[in-house]
Amino acid sequence: MIGGRRPLQGRKPGDRRVRVERPHSALFRWTGPGQLTAKEAASVPTTPRGKLYARLKAMLLGRPLASEEEIGERLSKKKALAIFSSDAISSSAYATEEILRVLILGGIAALAWGLWVSVAIAVLLIAVAISYRQICLAYPTGGGSYSVSKRNFGRRMSLIAASALMIDYVMTVAVSTASSIEQVTSAVPALTDWRVLLGVLAITLITIGNLRGLREAGNLFAIPTYLFLVSALLMIAIGTIRIVIFGEHGQYAAEFQNEVGSSFQAVSLILLLRAFAAGAVALTGTEAIATGVPAFEPPEARNAATTLAIMAALLGVLFIGLTFLAVNFGITHIDDPVKQTVISQIAGTVYGFGSIPFFLFQGFTALLLVLAANTSFNAFPRLLAILAADGFIPRQFAFRGDRLAFSYGIVVLATVAAALIVLFQGETHLLIPLYAVGVFIDFTISQAGMIRHWRRERPPGWRRRLAINAFGCSLTAVVAVVVTVAKAPQSLIVLALIPVLVATMMFISRQYAGQEAELAIRDDFVVPSPHREQRVVIPVNGINRAVVQAIVFGRTLATDVRAVFITEDSELGDALRLKWERQVPGVPLVIVESPYRALVGPLTAYLDVLDLAWPPDKDDPITIVVLPEFVARHWWDRLLYNQSAKRLKSALVGREHTVIADVPYRRGH
Amino acid sequence: MPSELSAPPVFRRAVVALSGHPNGQRLIRLVAELAKPYKAELIGVHVVEIDWSMPLDMDLAGRSDEIQQVLDVAEGTAEAAGVQLESVLLQARDVGAALVDEAVEREADLLVVGLAYRTKFGGDFAIGKTIPYILKNAPCAVWVVREPIPEETS
Repeated sequence: MIGGRRPLQGRKPGDRRVRVERPHSALFRWTGPGQLTAKEAASVPTTPRGKLYARLKAMLLGRPLASEEEIGERLSKKKALAIFSSDAISSSAYATEEILRVLILGGIAALAWGLWVSVAIAVLLIAVAISYRQICLAYPTGGGSYSVSKRNFGRRMSLIAASALMIDYVMTVAVSTASSIEQVTSAVPALTDWRVLLGVLAITLITIGNLRGLREAGNLFAIPTYLFLVSALLMIAIGTIRIVIFGEHGQYAAEFQNEVGSSFQAVSLILLLRAFAAGAVALTGTEAIATGVPAFEPPEARNAATTLAIMAALLGVLFIGLTFLAVNFGITHIDDPVKQTVISQIAGTVYGFGSIPFFLFQGFTALLLVLAANTSFNAFPRLLAILAADGFIPRQFAFRGDRLAFSYGIVVLATVAAALIVLFQGETHLLIPLYAVGVFIDFTISQAGMIRHWRRERPPGWRRRLAINAFGCSLTAVVAVVVTVAKAPQSLIVLALIPVLVATMMFISRQYAGQEAELAIRDDFVVPSPHREQRVVIPVNGINRAVVQAIVFGRTLATDVRAVFITEDSELGDALRLKWERQVPGVPLVIVESPYRALVGPLTAYLDVLDLAWPPDKDDPITIVVLPEFVARHWWDRLLYNQSAKRLKSALVGREHTVIADVPYRRGH
Repeated sequence: MPSELSAPPVFRRAVVALSGHPNGQRLIRLVAELAKPYKAELIGVHVVEIDWSMPLDMDLAGRSDEIQQVLDVAEGTAEAAGVQLESVLLQARDVGAALVDEAVEREADLLVVGLAYRTKFGGDFAIGKTIPYILKNAPCAVWVVREPIPEETS
């Protein structure tokens, strides 16, 4: 082989050929004049530790994906309904229970009001759905409350919306996972004591799946929603027939009958409002379709609006239907001896406790709830990526990992949600008061943004559209207040958290803006040729190969090169000077005696003295401190070598007009 | 046996001649589609013909951006079709002989060459001397993929 060319003999005597090596081809691909694209091999770690880490990561998360491998699948209405509605529809699994938990405080008689409370929530759902249909049509590029408020109100309001959304997504994961595990433990009570562990495990699995680049667009994700929908609607149909046609009614458990006397509260307006606030969690996830309009098949906005209407209708039927069955079958929550969710009791009553359809239904419900948690794993990191791109949160949240997932956002979401599960012992009921507050704040901000949108754009029929959004806005604003007051004091945590998040994001934004302004250059600025002088200072510990290499390098940077030897022993200094003058001519050696045995202080003081001695009529020179460094081959080498260089480096970082240059010395060079 | 004759070839390792002609990408995609089900190996070979007046091992091809582009684009096209293509750059006195020798050395069971359509002078396939040489000397199956005639594509 000569210069990357290998001569080869062909079959016939005259047929010679030369194979030309292409050194770049293993790592890069030519993609245009002066442009190369790195191949996967270019990102492969070279150190043994790096290789081991990469192998472990690949085992857990899969091989790295290239950006062009991202699947940009457009969703049909059927698939989109399943994927975007899982969050909203799954809330029917716990919303009824939340209403009944409040109404039971008014005695058994009050439970009958459950149906009317759910009807009132369904009316609210219709109003919100109609308002959100308008957002779908007005913002075909995706109408999340952050983007709508950013376009119509500006920074502060959009950050309030973003903060509320963030809390919302975290709560969706925590509540959906906790509820999912409760469905499992309701069917298999032996697992009750393990619920916290199971919840954390479920979040861990969803996290790994998402870090692997799990896409919610797959058919796999549509199946649980439809399985739940079919089995739940069937259950409602069978239950309704049994109640309406066969006149079947249930009795409440004896402990509730006794409880009436002791803790009876009148069926007051306040109780009903509290029940309404508790059941309003049913609306969580309604906004998901408006956020995901671009994922629909064309015509995107029209298809999204239709899907939203279908979703609202289904959610309304499920919610009212389940409450109707619970009220008529005499079902309310059971916490002792083993917790049994309301929906599991309804399934047990209709399908038969311990029957296969009962277990299947519980399984479908648990799966749907996991899927609902997964929607947040897609939305939350994307929101953080948008906020990072806008400079409101650290930029690393916009970076995509090896599998094209926004890894930082996924990990943050999982950590906070898992912490909530542990903190609240996996109890859905305890987590609920923190939920829904952020949702209604978001709804209100979005609707208010739309009012501004219509006033500004004034398309045909804008007055009617504005009226719809204004109605939706006032309704959700009232509900936001009701929910906050009714769920106090826990709900106040969310109210306190929003300003903290907004302030943090504004602080980060100011930091980034300040840094950008500091680094910005004018468009007409042309980089001039260097005009400041340079000098090189090399701290040395004697004459050795590493020092020689640093001197050789230093000489390429400036003509003014000097070595500094800091010692507490003057005899050692004298001996080095003798040797130095003989072996390193042309590079002056400055010996700084340090009777207090300090290293960093005398060196920085020496640099200060050099600066002071510089002629004041000339521009300050750039002082390049060249540090000879021995490259560690083993982990213990790091403990043995370069400790002084590290101390010098940390002392000199940030020093004015000073550049630090490491000159690594590798064995064998 | 018309169905067997018209069926695409089954192969384990194919050498694909990369001429740098715009038709090349179509050729790669076609071969990649055929290779995918059998997990067949693809070797893309670009041969730079060196005149007898110059030394064969002169530093010519390695420094040319255009030549690197031919191979890199082929690699990228195959990768986009879900198949890996190993790219080989050769300097030789005769393109046909170099392709055949490379196929022999690599123990390829298929050699694929593209046949360009020349629109000048009334239009004709530029068969040249390379394809006849390969057809006559290759020890493996040879597949000649012609460029579509402009009337066909329109």
